[in-house]
Amino acid sequence: MFSATLRSRAASSASLQSRSLATAAAPSSSSSGEPLTHYRITLRRSAIALPMNIKGTLAALGIHRRLQTVFHRHTPDIAGKILTIKELVTVENVPESAVRTKWEQRQERKASRGYEVAGSKLGAEP
Amino acid sequence: MFGAFRPTQTNLVGLLWKTPWKLSRTRKANVRARLKQVDSVIEAVRASGVQCKALDQALELPKEHEMPPRDKYTVFSRHTKGYRKGIHKVPKWTRLTLRTNPKGF
Repeated sequence: MFSATLRSRAASSASLQSRSLATAAAPSSSSSGEPLTHYRITLRRSAIALPMNIKGTLAALGIHRRLQTVFHRHTPDIAGKILTIKELVTVENVPESAVRTKWEQRQERKASRGYEVAGSKLGAEP
Repeated sequence: MFGAFRPTQTNLVGLLWKTPWKLSRTRKANVRARLKQVDSVIEAVRASGVQCKALDQALELPKEHEMPPRDKYTVFSRHTKGYRKGIHKVPKWTRLTLRTNPKGF
């Protein structure tokens, strides 16, 4: 138990040191044995007033607004697109299970409603 | 001497924007943070294991900790005395790759 706390403390201090490169260090540690297959790309800086090829690259990646997150497979064409807009985005490697569609991301953001529907008497036998 | 109608340069000559000659300590810290952010993006793409020309070119760029301060905060300019000007004079400089300069300058 005690050694476990020590280890977690050492891990946390290591993560503090490499905080600036957290996105780079994350893939190796965050995966639970699952292969990392996708890029998680988030637009941090707007492409306003940048050349059309940069704006077109964002559109090609399916990014339309700042702080939008999209997922793409590890392929050379996607890698090239990411490197074209490397000043504007943050990128992380994630496993297949972490991939979310736009709708799923929205559901995860939502606050809980505070109740759960246990069942309905409508349509039940009288 | 004080007050809203004091004769300052801005009041007397109308439109007057001044760009500081060099970056402040805070702006330089922000430069370094942005450079590290871009380094992490390149590192993430490298860690994904794909191979492409764009990645080879990106890996040839010096990393933030390998760059001399001269390259971080100034760029080559053929018109300026000393062939260097502040990097903040370049339009859109926070969203461009301006890491390397001509050798010898």
